[in-house]
Amino acid sequence: MQLETALLIGALFACATWLILQRSFVRILFGFIVLSNAANLVVLSMSGRPDGKAAPIVGEQAGPMVDPLPQALILTAIVIGFGVTAYLVMLLYRLFVDQKTTNLAELYREKEGDE
Amino acid sequence: MNGAVIPFVLPLLTGTVALWLGRPGTVRRGWFVVSAAVQLAVAVWLIGECLAGRPRVLLAGGWASAVGIVLVADLLASIMVGLSSLTALAAVLFTCFESTSRVEHPLRLPLLQFMMAGINLSFLTGDLFNLFVAFEIMLIASYALLTLEADDWDIRQAYPYLAVNLVGSTLFICGAGLAYGLFGTLNFAGMSAAAAAMPGDPRILVLALLFLVVFGTKAGLFPLYYWLPNSYPILPAALAGLYSGMLTKVGVYVLLRMTATVLPHDLAGLHQAIAWLAGLTMVLAVLGALSRNFIRGILSFHILSQIGFMALAIGLFTPLSIAACVFYVIHHIIVKASLFLVGGVAVVLNRTDDLDRMGHLWRVTPWVGIVFLVQALSLAGIPPLSGFWGKYVIIVEGLRQGAYALIAASLVASVLTLLSMLKIWLAAFWSEPEGVVVRVADQRWRPMLWVVGGMAAVSLGIGLGAEGVMQLALRAAEGALDQEGYVRLVLGAGGKGGG
Repeated sequence: MQLETALLIGALFACATWLILQRSFVRILFGFIVLSNAANLVVLSMSGRPDGKAAPIVGEQAGPMVDPLPQALILTAIVIGFGVTAYLVMLLYRLFVDQKTTNLAELYREKEGDE
Repeated sequence: MNGAVIPFVLPLLTGTVALWLGRPGTVRRGWFVVSAAVQLAVAVWLIGECLAGRPRVLLAGGWASAVGIVLVADLLASIMVGLSSLTALAAVLFTCFESTSRVEHPLRLPLLQFMMAGINLSFLTGDLFNLFVAFEIMLIASYALLTLEADDWDIRQAYPYLAVNLVGSTLFICGAGLAYGLFGTLNFAGMSAAAAAMPGDPRILVLALLFLVVFGTKAGLFPLYYWLPNSYPILPAALAGLYSGMLTKVGVYVLLRMTATVLPHDLAGLHQAIAWLAGLTMVLAVLGALSRNFIRGILSFHILSQIGFMALAIGLFTPLSIAACVFYVIHHIIVKASLFLVGGVAVVLNRTDDLDRMGHLWRVTPWVGIVFLVQALSLAGIPPLSGFWGKYVIIVEGLRQGAYALIAASLVASVLTLLSMLKIWLAAFWSEPEGVVVRVADQRWRPMLWVVGGMAAVSLGIGLGAEGVMQLALRAAEGALDQEGYVRLVLGAGGKGGG
């Protein structure tokens, strides 16, 4: 379970990095969303091996439970990620409205031509 | 109410209430100024309490610090809160004097208060995840402020700022997760105790390097600083003063807190790495400053160069050099913020901060020149001004440790700092080009100059009373380095669910 999670996290980080380094706004946006979820998965995997452990709900089951703290942490991180992603969407939209382009390279090329 | 929580709650409350006060006007401005003054008073009171040996520890909800959220107002944190409150007061006053309430953006001051809440929480927090939350409060407010008044052209600089900080935050949360996996707690005191129990574990060094990347990005250390010098100049002067004073210094503070209080002291390789990155930052950033031709651009690169000095002091890692770092932070926040504000005054007078189109300021308004000169020479490190003492102690410590190459780099950076300050001086104040008008009739510059003059007086006081400030810094550094004392203070505070 741990190994599969680690491989999944690695794959997500790789995808996110590739997407963020693209020039299109939409791909960059997806890149950041994938990146924040990959990070959340890192935190989740710190709960340890879930094999044979109960869900952390009081009074449901006796026996060992999964460490609930990382889940509480990623809940906060997801909310924060939401807020920042919303801001990123608005910023990219405003850049598109102002500069009439969704290509990062074009966005910054203009500057060099102008100065 | 526990004193440690006031510097976080008060700005949050101020900002929220102000949103209900309607359009900017005299009442709303008065509310902000009074609140900023009260925040400063609270911070001074906290420093006094710490000096009297009563640092405040707040266990949120009464939970023991191992399971709950803990806020710790020790001396170092209190000093930082004091500096941020002072800078915020200056920024609020400067905003009020710079623009009439009719042109003031209604969201500027509330967002500024939200950012202050995040900044103060990052100083006071006693656990890593809460620090992440504080960083995000601060950063989200700072994204919003950065783009609030930016025009179509400037706003493009917001994207690199956002992108770099988003990646930094993502790595931060990974670091927090890995730290939890490694230590089983996110509490600074708990982490410190757990790290002490596993000496020589290579995983601690790996984690420390990850933190170096995260906080190095926030602070603006060498390979990761490119986002800063292009994004800060798009801010209005009052906000640029606050950003330049506080935001990167939060990174420096956390780096200091991590290396001194949380991580084991024997990670020599980490300290070496910080020191060399610092050396590179100093020299490369000051060269960047020389290449710029407008005041805010030059000053933005100087932030980075000065960050190099503070990081070098952390990298040398002796009690005296940590104290020098604290001293340097105190000096730098005041000087840097007031230099940006002087730049703002000059913009009001010359209507531009492009050095090619400025001039006559010394002849027409000598006091602006004097304030600038005091702060610029202080930045370069001319005795007896405040910048000299911090650099002096760092260099003494460096020579004692035999880090000659780094000391040489810091001296070169100092001389080049002076050179680029002279560039501003010669172009804006000394030169008398044809066709450049100084608009003295615009009366705004007088009260604005009083604000900057107040900051300059504080800075002069730091320079002339260096002995007292250095004693304060020494005590703060001792407190930060005393891991056992910190663990006793925090974990000994009791609370339910502990044990």
